[in-house]
Amino acid sequence: MVETGHFALVLALVLSLVQSLVPLYGAHKGDARLMAVGGPVTVTGFAMIALSFAALTVAYVQSDFSVTNVWENSHSLQPLIYKFTGTWGNHEGSMLLWVLILSFFGALVAAFGGNLPATLRANVLAVQGWIGTAFLLFILITSNPFARLVPAPIEGKDLNPILQDIGLAVHPPLLYLGYVGFSVCFSFAVAALIEGRIDAAWARWVRPWTLAAWVFLTGGIAMGSYWAYYELGWGGFWFWDPVENASFMPWLSGTALLHSAIVMEKRSALKIWTLLLAILTFSLSLLGTFLVRSGVLTSVHSFASDPSRGVFILCILTLFIGGSLALFALRASSLTAGGIFHPISREGALVLNNLFLTTATATVLIGTLYPLVVEAMFGDKISVGEPFFNLTFGPLMIPLLVVVPFGPLLAWKRGDVFAVAQRLMFAFGAALLAVLVTFLFIDGASVFAALGAGLSAWLVLGALTDLALKAGIGNVALDMALRRFLGLPRSVFGTAIAHLGLGLTLLGIVGTLSFEKEAILVMKPGQVLEISGHSLRFDGLTPVRGPNFTEDRGHFSLLGANGQPSDVIMSSKRFYPVRQMPTTEAGIKTMWLSQLYISLGDETGDGSVVVRVWWKPLVTLIWGGALVMMVGGFVSLMDRRLRVGAPARRKSAQAKTSPVAS
Amino acid sequence: MLFWVIAAVLTLGASLAVLLPLTRRAEGEADASHDLEVYRDQLGEVDRDAARGLIAPSDAEQARAEIARRIIKLDAESARAPKSTSQLAPRQVGVIAVLAVPLLSWSIYTAIGSPEVPSQPLSARLSQKPADSSVDELIARAEAHLVANPSDGRGWDVLAPVYLRMGRSDDAVTAYRNAVRILGSTATRQAGLGEAIAGSSGGIVTSDARLAFEAALKLEPADPKARYFLALALAQEGKVADAATAWRQLSESLPADSPWRAATDQAIAQAEVRTAPANEAAGVAGPEQADIDAAASMSSGDRTAMIEGMVATLDEKLRQNPRDPEGWLRLVRSYQVLGKTDLAQDALGRAYAALGRDSEDGRKLTELASTLGLKVTE
Repeated sequence: MVETGHFALVLALVLSLVQSLVPLYGAHKGDARLMAVGGPVTVTGFAMIALSFAALTVAYVQSDFSVTNVWENSHSLQPLIYKFTGTWGNHEGSMLLWVLILSFFGALVAAFGGNLPATLRANVLAVQGWIGTAFLLFILITSNPFARLVPAPIEGKDLNPILQDIGLAVHPPLLYLGYVGFSVCFSFAVAALIEGRIDAAWARWVRPWTLAAWVFLTGGIAMGSYWAYYELGWGGFWFWDPVENASFMPWLSGTALLHSAIVMEKRSALKIWTLLLAILTFSLSLLGTFLVRSGVLTSVHSFASDPSRGVFILCILTLFIGGSLALFALRASSLTAGGIFHPISREGALVLNNLFLTTATATVLIGTLYPLVVEAMFGDKISVGEPFFNLTFGPLMIPLLVVVPFGPLLAWKRGDVFAVAQRLMFAFGAALLAVLVTFLFIDGASVFAALGAGLSAWLVLGALTDLALKAGIGNVALDMALRRFLGLPRSVFGTAIAHLGLGLTLLGIVGTLSFEKEAILVMKPGQVLEISGHSLRFDGLTPVRGPNFTEDRGHFSLLGANGQPSDVIMSSKRFYPVRQMPTTEAGIKTMWLSQLYISLGDETGDGSVVVRVWWKPLVTLIWGGALVMMVGGFVSLMDRRLRVGAPARRKSAQAKTSPVAS
Repeated sequence: MLFWVIAAVLTLGASLAVLLPLTRRAEGEADASHDLEVYRDQLGEVDRDAARGLIAPSDAEQARAEIARRIIKLDAESARAPKSTSQLAPRQVGVIAVLAVPLLSWSIYTAIGSPEVPSQPLSARLSQKPADSSVDELIARAEAHLVANPSDGRGWDVLAPVYLRMGRSDDAVTAYRNAVRILGSTATRQAGLGEAIAGSSGGIVTSDARLAFEAALKLEPADPKARYFLALALAQEGKVADAATAWRQLSESLPADSPWRAATDQAIAQAEVRTAPANEAAGVAGPEQADIDAAASMSSGDRTAMIEGMVATLDEKLRQNPRDPEGWLRLVRSYQVLGKTDLAQDALGRAYAALGRDSEDGRKLTELASTLGLKVTE
């Protein structure tokens, strides 16, 4: 089974080579048969990689230590779920997951791209083939997960304990779905450059792919943030860590792409810019993969001492980014620019959005790469952290967020900002009220808190105003408004929901950062701690034995008003003997939107223990808001206008949907 | 065999994926019709928006006009799009592509794959017949049994010396302690425990280890292992002379065929070398202390093998790089201690050849050789 997987991976490489060259040549020569090879080859290639991935997964689940990769990252005593997720909890396996998802998206284009112009489809698949070939070569040459070990050891070296968590089952797949989803936009962009023309279908295809990738990436980042929050035991939700930035940069530029794709689709404007953004977004995804996978982040020097992997990814990076940008420079001038628009218009607002988002991306990029450059050139290890990003990224976001509610309300081509401002009066008034309430009743000392609360209210209510106005509430009779509301295009709902989610996330961040309470103390069993109106009693530590770890579990009781325990919170420290590594399992109690977070420190010997307790108001909104954003993206993805009917099938499709379409 | 069948089927499938589209007659359609479809869709959308009152009628009219302009432009574009009709080259490309799949995949796989290594799921390895299993697999099976039945003292008792032989001292300590706890104390178990503790602390006979050995001697005053290690403890404390005495007493009381005889005699020889004044005068270090300690925690057969291995390595090193006076001193002495006088004599000859008999190093060699009782004259 293992070798079958290995062989399937080799076959996938060869198929990917065919996919890279044959359809491209066919499109060049105008040969329909050669172009037609692209589809079946892509789908078969996906099947091969899926088989290969399944073989590796089986090896993990069965603890087959004759596979080096399994021996290095698994243990027979691990719970089944972690044996399973351990498949991608390591370098080799995660790269295999990466190409699996890449080929999956390629197969989707092949399967549902029947209504694309044949040459565009052939070129897109060929570009996907290039990416696939590069990464399959990378896997087989530098990081083969199917390397064997003879004789097989009897026990593995265990999975990194931090990864032994349900987060590993969700976070990397989501993140990769996002990263790799942008590869499709990239392939469309490069295909358009190869052809030298942008089809009208281009914009309609790029938008759903961008949306899908963006939804997954949002989920991946939010999940990663929550995972770090509860697993690392520091109680933080975002650390401006290079690994986090690596996923945040494609998200920022992907968000910009999402918005410029709207302009392009609706107005045929900003074509060239959208194309460039598509290239940049995937380039940042590749850069993220490079930063995380090459080991360059741990130390530039350790990267230089074992450079085979890093240099290979660097070559891929240079080839794809440099190649696509060179192609762009060559061809961009021959592309026709689209419609014109007034600066104050929906287009203008979206350009503003793009301007801020790309600048923000550049800021994060500088903050992430600067320490690496300094280390490489001068040998000093510096870190660029929160203060830098607070000073640069923060001020960029504020004007952007202020403008967000205006965007969807402005008309295309030529807008009236005063009319829109009038319509937003209600939201503005409510935001002002939120500022005042926060300032007067909650915390008079923090301007940040008051303004942040106001901005959040502005975003949330602005999004709701958008929906209300488009339904005509206030202008038409209520039942009419309701009918219009239900008849609104899904993309309108999607926009409003996503913007609302942004407001919620902001509220969560502001609430946590401004009103968080923290206590660090040594607690004896029976001692009671008062924090933010909650009484917490420490009941003592009990040792617990897990399948592959030992655990000191701290019991805490949340006391009700009568002094009786109303709830129990467990927080523990684990020790994984195989890797000789400790982990913390934070005790978290969610109350409405806020959380009580308990993390255990060292024992002092007499049964008392160092305890860190945080009260985090509104903290769940940070991730809840991201979930709402995902829902918004998903709703927008469901919009029927995104489905472009093929000429042949069009007639019947129209007959079915005619009540709406006519 | 099955693997090759599967591989052949997979290759066939992959080749067909390339071949089939090439044999089918594919009908092309003009790209323009796709664009037209998209624009028609947009027109419909404008109509819907206008009907819903989302855009003003005048704006809708303008949008329709713009889409119409695009459609007109499209007609102009498609009119001047030429298509190549050359069919020869594409056919060759198709043939190459179809052939590349089996040829490339099989040659790459034979270069990097390991088709002869079967899958080895752990559960299957642990349930095969004991005779087919490796020592590691047998131990793993015993461990699995003991995890399920931790109070099986006999199991621990069997496993403990196996651990010790494998060098897994920490596990041996646990196993011996469990055996003592469940089955009670015996001289063998206590002495084994002591050896395991010494092994897990890098060969040093710690106070814990000494307690275990003393417990063993209380139960069986003649236990050779305990006596040997207690003497070693003396040597490690620097009381080499006392240690030598203890070892000598042990050696006298041992039966001729005792497995401890060889180890004890070596220990005596080493102790004598260490106490020899010539050695101290030359200021030469013996084998690394860590090596001695490691040797001490092994069974006697392994220990001899290890020491001989170390000496052979040293010999090899000196053959490659003879300008190492200290190395020669150590090699000559080691061979003599191991009782291989002719090898020692040979090494001495080579050392003279490398360093020169009359150099200062040569004189040191002569001095050592005479204390060891080797012939120094040709």
